[in-house]
Order: sequence, then structure tokens, then C-alpha cells
Amino acid sequence: MSTTSTFHGLEVARRALATQQTALHTTSHNISNANTEGYSRQRVNFEQTNPFPPASRNRPEMAGQLGTGVKAGQIQRVRDEFLDFQYRAENNKAGQYAARSDALGRLEEIMNEPSDSGLAKTMDQFWESIQDVATNPEDGGARRVMVQRAEAVTDTFHYLDGKLKDVQGELKNQLNTGATQVNSLIREIENLNDQIGRVEPNGDVPNDLYDKRDLAIDELSEYVNIKIEPDQDIGGNPSALAQGIPSIHLADENGNAIPGAELINSNNDVKGIEFEFSGTNDSLVENINIGNLNNANDEEGDDPTAIKSVTNTIAADSFNSTGSLRGTMEANGYVDENGDPAGDYVEMIDDLSLMADEFVSAFNDQHQKGHGLDGSTGQDFFTLDTTLGDGAAAQISVAPTIKNNENAIAASDTAGESGNGDNALLLSDVRDEELVDLNNQSIQSFYQAQIGDLGVKAQEANRMANNTSSLRESVDQNRQSVSGVSLDEEMSNMIKFQHAYNAAARSMTVVDETLNRIINQMGIVGR
Amino acid sequence: MRVTQSMLSNSMLNNLRQNNTQMSKYMEQLSTGKKINQPSDDPVVAMRGVDYRSELSKVEQFERNMSEVRTWMDSSDEAMDEAGQSLMRVRELVTQASNDSYEENQRENMASEVEQIKDHLIELANTKVNNKHIFNGTHTDTPRFDNNGNLSGESNNKAINIEVSDGVELRANVDPSNAFSENMIQGLENIVTDLRDNNTTGDDLDGYLSDIDQYSQNIVDERADLGARMNRAELIETRLSQQEITTKDVMSSNEDADMSEVITNLRMQENVHRAALSAGSRIIQPTLMDFLR
Repeated sequence: MSTTSTFHGLEVARRALATQQTALHTTSHNISNANTEGYSRQRVNFEQTNPFPPASRNRPEMAGQLGTGVKAGQIQRVRDEFLDFQYRAENNKAGQYAARSDALGRLEEIMNEPSDSGLAKTMDQFWESIQDVATNPEDGGARRVMVQRAEAVTDTFHYLDGKLKDVQGELKNQLNTGATQVNSLIREIENLNDQIGRVEPNGDVPNDLYDKRDLAIDELSEYVNIKIEPDQDIGGNPSALAQGIPSIHLADENGNAIPGAELINSNNDVKGIEFEFSGTNDSLVENINIGNLNNANDEEGDDPTAIKSVTNTIAADSFNSTGSLRGTMEANGYVDENGDPAGDYVEMIDDLSLMADEFVSAFNDQHQKGHGLDGSTGQDFFTLDTTLGDGAAAQISVAPTIKNNENAIAASDTAGESGNGDNALLLSDVRDEELVDLNNQSIQSFYQAQIGDLGVKAQEANRMANNTSSLRESVDQNRQSVSGVSLDEEMSNMIKFQHAYNAAARSMTVVDETLNRIINQMGIVGR
Repeated sequence: MRVTQSMLSNSMLNNLRQNNTQMSKYMEQLSTGKKINQPSDDPVVAMRGVDYRSELSKVEQFERNMSEVRTWMDSSDEAMDEAGQSLMRVRELVTQASNDSYEENQRENMASEVEQIKDHLIELANTKVNNKHIFNGTHTDTPRFDNNGNLSGESNNKAINIEVSDGVELRANVDPSNAFSENMIQGLENIVTDLRDNNTTGDDLDGYLSDIDQYSQNIVDERADLGARMNRAELIETRLSQQEITTKDVMSSNEDADMSEVITNLRMQENVHRAALSAGSRIIQPTLMDFLR
């Protein structure tokens, strides 16, 4: 003899309808977000409701326990945190090498070697023109050509120097934009944390907010290496699946937290970063500052992604958080532990200037010993014009006396001998002269070594950029494999839930019919 | 492993991108004809490339210098050849005149012929090639003698050296004090004066013969020296042209792309690309939805 309620069956069917409908809605949500970046598929955890009768002293005498139906326990996102950790590590390295390979690639384009239009070729043509003067010292034409070729050399130096400095300026902008980007990601995470913190104590699981936050952290990992420490100290009555507010630290290349560089703590207090450039050379990074960001409700017009007060300073040389910021910084140039400039662009600029400087002084030394057609002697062929910019590569120019009067070229080693080209021969030997300040290398082999060095560095960066980006792709594939939406799967789930819904509706109809039988058709015998 | 549609399309896109990168690399090799276009493609090849280029430019310059040397040498040789023949004619005339059987007006004719030859020798000594006086040491802008056969103020016997290969300099001119000495011109002038002087005896004229032989010998010596240098120049020239070929060869094998290899690679890559595209078109399209009513 059953003692369940008359409407028990209706209630069971109603629960089934509601739960299957929730599952259908979730399926539909999954399909909608099949192509949303950072989305993890969601799943409804079905649970049986408490069976009847519960254990008690006055439990009814009946066969027990009788099932009472289904409920949607939780809606959970399917995600593997370990894969997130792997993805961010690879994304971080990929960011670093991509930035470096990009910067070095541009450096290679500027240097344009080996080619028939780079500095090496221009220098070759200059040396040739000196030989022509040596064989035809009395010929004004040959001398004119030598002056023009010398101007081509100085132009090439100026061009390279200027271009390198231009790109350095762009890299500096990239660094500043990168820091702003990091800060605005931190702001975004702060904001999401805020919303999450309001939802979690109620026992709900904000899956979509988690996804957004993880996406922002993924993006952050491209710029700097980060260490994430979970914090499940949530107030109220949180679900077991709630994630709380994890703290985010800047981390070094081994993934260990850098002391004093906590970007977000578990109370959702945030800090930002900024680059501080050297006072002596404003294209070099001197420090990385960490500090409190402007508050949005501080004075109006304050940029909420800019730092208000610095709390910690890391010297550029010991800033070992890998990522695109450091990759860019290493390409651009920074102040090393001895206070000297280091980095690919600044080194190339300095080397070019060193080369130009040595070239000018070695060439002038020899030129001063000779005699020109016009009787001049002791003249400089090149000068360093300090009005043209910083560094010998920017300043090198043909001396005005030579530019205006090609007969002042000191081709002869004896005064008054127009057919004497012996000093010009010695000038052309400067090409192979080993110079102490160029590590006992000739100008040409010094330059060659720079190009070789650049090639090796760029090759390494390209290879690492390729490797890390394919590693990132493969981790991302793994992650997609866990969290990605499969349309086939969703379609079959949809059919499954739809059938269950239909069946629940049918079971409700059956209960309806039994009730109809009792209420409307029983006890009317003989009417 | 669970595989989803977006994974399929992502990995297909990735692979296509890689195919395209490879293809563009082969295309670049094909259109530039070079194995490398950036130092990072192969740093060693790039460094050597810079080196070979400058080596080649040196060799080409030395070849240009060499042709300058040849101009100097050939012109000097011709001028000295003519000078030698002229001196022989003078010797004939002096020998003729020395047998005392000629009359006054015949001696006058001989005298004027010797005078003409003397003027010719001055002209030869002042030979100008490419706007340069080649018999005046390093003072190439002034003639050696003035019209009267006196050395001009600016004159020396210094060598004109031209570099013809690394560290090797070749003397391009001859020593004008041997080939066209002031004594020689003076000697011829004396002969002219003596021929016009009726008191000059045959024996007096005989005395000039040994002088003339000495002038000839000087020219012959200088030509022998020049000849030896011309031989050396020829050797160097041969070596330079061989060096040019070798350098070009090495440079080409260092950085030029092997066309048949590149084209084969490109074809292979094209096939892979096609296969990837057709696989993509098959995989991406259907989903379960296509088969549900």
C-alpha cells in the first residue's frame, strides 16, 4: 500500500522536464560559444533528488526507498588547470622569442647584407675608387669619383645609423605600450575578480567569468612570466567548484615568484608595471618599476593603467621575467650591471660608430702624410661633424676642403709630383690594416663579424620562435581537446536531452491519465 | 584524444600557414637565385658572401689597374723602339760623313736630317698618353724637354708604381734618364754643329760613333728591363683572370641556389599544399547536423 502523495508522479516528471531543459539550454550555450576564444564547454551535473522515505522514526511502511527524480546539481566548465599552466609557460617563451625574432628580423632588413647595396659594397666601391686615383693621380675625374664614393660611404653610415635609431624608438614605444597593455589586463582581471567575488559566496559557479579571467591571464603570460597561487578562502556559502581569487606574481625564467612583485593579491589589490629609461640615454631601459595604479575614482583624467606610486624597483639587468617585454627590452637595449649599454640594437649602433670612428682616424692619419695636387698637405679627408647627431656613424662626413676641391686629395707622397700615386696606394691599404680598437681586425672583417654575429643571433631567435610557437600550438590543441566544443557531441547530447524531455513529458501524461481515471471515471457506477 | 571541429580547422590553418611559409621561401630562392636572403638563413654563407664580394671587387680593380699598366708599357716600348731606329739612322749619317768625301752642301743636308731626328727624339721623350707625359718620372703633367732640348724645370726619374695584386706593385714607366738622357740630345746637337763646320775632319766625326752606340745601348738596356716587366705583367694578368673565375665560382657555389633542387622542392611543397587543401575541404565541411533530419 503506497503512502506517497497523489501528485508524486507529477512532481517527478516536472523535475525531469526542468532538468533536461537546463541541459538543453547549456547545450545551446555551448553551441553558441563554439567559436568564442577562451570558452570552455560546460556540462550540467545531473543528480538524483533525495529518495523517499527518509530515515525517521515514523517513516511509512512501504518498500523504500522510492526515487523522487533528478535535479541539476551544478553547471561546471570542463577545464584542466595543468594544461593552462603549460600553455602559459609556452605562451610566455613564445612571446619572448617572437619579440626578439621580430626585432632581429628588422635589424637584418636594415643591414641588408649580403647584397649589392649594403655598407660592404659601398665600402668596396670606395676602395676601388682610391685605386683608380692611385693609377691616375693627375686625373680630376678619378678624384671626383673618389669624393662621390666617399660621400656614398658616409651616406650609408648615416642611413644605417638613422634607421637603427628609428627602430629603436619604435621598440621603446612597444615597451611602453606593452607595459600599458599589462596594466590594463591587470585592471581587467581585477574587475573580473570583483564580479566573481560577489557571485561565489552565494554558492553559484561563475563559469563564464572564470573563462574570461583565464583568457586575460593567458594574454598576460605573453608579456611577462607569471606565477599563480590559488586561494580558496571565500566567504559565505561557496560551491566546492568555486575558485576564489588567485594571486598573480611576476615570476623569473624558472617560474619562481620575484619578491615584491605581486601584481594581484588574494584581496584583489592590484599593482602595475612601468619602464624607467636611463637619464643619460633615454632609449635604454634602466629600471622596471612596480607600483600602485591610479584609482579610477581619483582625480579625473588620471589614466587607470598608469602607476601612481612606485613600491618596488627592479634593475633592468636583473629583470628576469621572460616574455615579450623582456624580448623587446633585450633587442632595444638596457643598462647592464656595470652601467654600460647592452642589447642588440644599441650594440649594433655602437659597433657601427666604433667602426666609423676607427675608419676615419686610420684614413685621416694616412691622408695627412700625403700631398695634394694643389700643394696642400696635412689635411683630413673625413671629419666628424658633431652637429649631425650622436655617434661617429651619424657624424662621419667628407671634409669640406676635399668636397669642394678634389685636388686636395693627398694622392702623392711627395709634394708637387702630379703623377705620384704612392700615398693613394697606402690609403687603399687602410682597407686591410688591422686596427687595435677593432680587436685587431680590419674594418672589413670587423663588419663581417658583426653581420655573422647578427645572423647567428637571428637564426637562433627564429628557431626558438618557431619551436616555442609550435609547442604552444600543441599545448593549445591539448587544451582544446579537453575544453573545446565539439558540435557533433553537442548535437548528440541535444538529441539525448530532447528525448529525455519528451519521455518525461510522456510520463507526465501517464500520471495525468491515471489521475483522470480516478477523479473523473471512478465511483460513477450505475449513474 | 577528443578532437573537435575547431581543433581540426585550427590545425589545418596552421599547416596551411606552414606550407605557405615554405613555399614563399622556395619562391624567394627561385626568384632571387640565391640560397639565402638574410644572414639568419645561414650566417656562415652570409659572412663568406660579404668576403667573396669584396675579394671579387679587388680582383676586378686589379684587372683595371693591369690594363693601365699595359698602356704605359706598350706606349713606352713603342716610343723607345722608334728612338732606337732614329739613332741608327744618325749613326749611318755620321759614318757616311766621316769619310771626308762629301761636299759642303751634302754635309749641310746630313746636318739638317740629324737635326730633324733630334727634334723627333725630343717629341718622343715628350710622348703623351692619356694626357700623361710618360717619360718624366712622377711629373706627368709637364713635358721632359723644352723645344731647345733642355730638361724642363720639373723633371725626375722616379718610378710610377701601380698595384696589380695584393701587395704587389709593378713599375709602369721606364727610367727616362737612360732612355732619353739630356746628354743624348746635347750629343746630337753637337753633331749638327760639327757637320756644319767646314773645319771638322772625318776623324772628329768618328769620335761621335761610340757616343751614339752608348745612347743606343742605354735604350736597348731599358727596353730589356721593360720587356722583363711586361712578361711579369702577363703572368700576373693570367693569374688575375684565373682568380676572377675562381672567386666567382666559389661565390656562386657558396650562395647561389641549385635551381633544379629548388624547383623540385617547390613542386613537392605544392603537392603537399594541394593535399592539405583537399583534405581540409573534406574534413571541415560535414558535421553531424548534415546527417540529422
